[in-house]
Amino acid sequence: MDLALWALAALFTPLFPLSWLFNRLVASLPAGAIQGFAVLVLPQLGIEILHRAPQGPLCSAAFRPWVMALATASALLYAVRALSARELGVWTRLVLCSGLATVWLAWAVGAPVQVLQLMALGWGLPAAVALYLTGVFVRRVGGAYVGLHGGLVAVMPRMTASLVFAVLALTVTPVFPAFFMLWKGLGSIPVAWLPFWLPLIFLWGWAAGRLFQDLLFGDYRGEPMTDIGGMSVALIGFVFLASLIVSVIGSGGASWR
Amino acid sequence: MAMGSLGVWVPLLPVVSALVILAFLRNTRVFAARVSVSTLALTLALALMLLVRYLVTGADAVVDSGGVFGSLWLDPLSLVLWTFVSGISLIVHIYSVRYMAEEPGYARFFALLDLMTGVILVMVSAANLLTLLVAWFLVGVVLYFLLGHDHRRPAAGRYAFWTQITYRFGDLPLWFAALVLFHCYHSDSLPVIFARIQKAPHLQFWGMPVPELAGFLLALAAFARSAQFPLHIWLPYTMDGPTPVSALMHAGIVNAGGFLFNRFAPLFEHAGWALHWAFGVGLMTALIGSGLMLMQNDIKRSLGYSTMGQMGFMVMECGLGAFPLAVFHLIAHGFFKASLFLGAGDVIGDARAHDGVPPDPVYTSVVERRPARPSRLPWLVAASLTVLVPVVVLSLSHFFVAEHLFYEQGVVVLLFFGWVTGAQALFAAHKMSQQDPWRLMLGILASFVVVVIGYTLISHYFGRLLYPDEHESLMLYHAASIHRLSFDALVMLLAAVFVGGWALTFFAESLDLGRKFGGRGRGLYLGIYALLSRELYVADIYEWLGQVVVHWSRRLNVWLRWC
Repeated sequence: MDLALWALAALFTPLFPLSWLFNRLVASLPAGAIQGFAVLVLPQLGIEILHRAPQGPLCSAAFRPWVMALATASALLYAVRALSARELGVWTRLVLCSGLATVWLAWAVGAPVQVLQLMALGWGLPAAVALYLTGVFVRRVGGAYVGLHGGLVAVMPRMTASLVFAVLALTVTPVFPAFFMLWKGLGSIPVAWLPFWLPLIFLWGWAAGRLFQDLLFGDYRGEPMTDIGGMSVALIGFVFLASLIVSVIGSGGASWR
Repeated sequence: MAMGSLGVWVPLLPVVSALVILAFLRNTRVFAARVSVSTLALTLALALMLLVRYLVTGADAVVDSGGVFGSLWLDPLSLVLWTFVSGISLIVHIYSVRYMAEEPGYARFFALLDLMTGVILVMVSAANLLTLLVAWFLVGVVLYFLLGHDHRRPAAGRYAFWTQITYRFGDLPLWFAALVLFHCYHSDSLPVIFARIQKAPHLQFWGMPVPELAGFLLALAAFARSAQFPLHIWLPYTMDGPTPVSALMHAGIVNAGGFLFNRFAPLFEHAGWALHWAFGVGLMTALIGSGLMLMQNDIKRSLGYSTMGQMGFMVMECGLGAFPLAVFHLIAHGFFKASLFLGAGDVIGDARAHDGVPPDPVYTSVVERRPARPSRLPWLVAASLTVLVPVVVLSLSHFFVAEHLFYEQGVVVLLFFGWVTGAQALFAAHKMSQQDPWRLMLGILASFVVVVIGYTLISHYFGRLLYPDEHESLMLYHAASIHRLSFDALVMLLAAVFVGGWALTFFAESLDLGRKFGGRGRGLYLGIYALLSRELYVADIYEWLGQVVVHWSRRLNVWLRWC
């Protein structure tokens, strides 16, 4: 694989420093469904490039540990950065970039392409839901900075519940796919890498906890707002149901090797 | 019906109830509560039936889900804990029906209680590593939402977050231990791993025997769940959650550490150093927790620190190799603490009605016609009874019940603790003012004898139920033992310290030492008081560390323009 294709793959399936461009690209799209669609499709495109590109020195066994190191650093960097993000869209993109780094880890240990696709879907689906809801939030309030209003659950219970599920799924909570993907993944890499990967679970949980503080607790201080409709909730519910089916397949059959 | 098929329904029933409430009964408060309580009653009946069935047949079973997730192990530990958890949960459910009646999100609360019960039931019966991890992880998540049930109060959210973050920290060593065991023993089934550990207990990993390394990691995971120092800060502050949640948490969830030690008992048979570490941490937690409990002026906070002390004691028991005793302790403490929490409201109500100011001696003497000066036993008699009676009663009861265990170091240490606590109880009785001090002392002595003999018998037969193979119990005691000479020296030193402490207390009162040396020790006393009243600054240190990380995170984001 030549450098240009490899770079394209690292751009769409974000890996630092090209993840910066990925983030910029997604942020430049209109908030809402389009951003959600982008985070579902772009990583799959990156995986397809990785799969179809001709093998070269960048795919050699000697190079793969370096990819693992870069993926680890990328995942940790974005997880730490997510701790201070209070804007919903920024938070989602940062956690997504951190989670998608595991796709590169799987690639480095030689996981089949179907598993890579499933992994990208495992992180992409909840991120897509969160970004869609960010769009709703932006349209109704003018911004998605959750620290501004507080206690959103009191005025938009359906939207908040959907967001809570999306955030939990993104931060490797069982029984969502990312949890099982991570378990499979960490079971396949050399144990020496574990001390670098396990803190991610803590950082993601910390980031989610900080976001929930602003989202769920306190008295709401904004304008009156209408909640999302029953159809949106049904659609989001369907996405999570699909997500759980991916979980079952991922935990029962898919393996990195 | 086979034990396995029935067993699956025990954790499944509460989960189904939670889903039904969330899907269909969110707006029907009374019906949601009825469904929830009835399901829990059915769960308890089923759990009891399975336990009785085991007692009759003596056969355990593994329910294989066919995948890598969801297998259950119906062994004595699971069955006992199923009965305990569903029993406590049923009490909490019934209590919540009226207690939560005025609260918003009534149906959601019951759904979360059901979900929590189901998850704990899965956790205590998990037959493979992934199932254990999933349930262990979910307990933290569901607890977060239960503690933060009242979203109008930012404090509830803040302390729920503390709990969640400590639990997440404690999840990491469990992940690590699970992955190390998976890598080294090539299976994620717990019975298979334990069988392979018995065959290859000295398998090395990173220059350490695998059971020892995994033992350290599992102990660390247990410390976070059972609020061991310095991972205890979340526990006393969870009082901001609803009282039924506090009861469920202090009676059930916080005991997860003791469960984890017992679940991995075959591994700890080969992890002596991990057990010594657990003993040290447990001892320190018991001392700090009990000390901080005495300083609180808020009944619920005081109960929180009391739980911390009890958890320290439970972990210490594991560190001594007395694994079944830890389970017995967690059950006894669970019921005891649940009743205290559920009765805390009444106590607070009573305290509002009666100020609780101690009666004036002149008033008691003149109006109530009781002696103004307390009448007490002669101090030499009291001292002899205090020091000698507990040691004789404890030693004799243990000697007759389980002579073969009597010489194990773990048992000696536990007897030592029994002696100290028994002596303290008798000493406290001696200090109480009574018209007839002999009557009081004899009453306390009789109660003490009954309690000790009852406790010894019950804990012995309970141990036989959980660990039918006596060899296993002996292996655990041996793993927890240290060099004989060091042990004897340590016991003698501690005995001297305690006896010296008691002697000092007796003489301090009679010679009025407090007044003579009070001025000089005042600064030190105030320093220690300040340190303890700020709870040793542990929370402040965590908060500072958190702020440093978030500060750097923000700076990184600014440099990278939030992309």
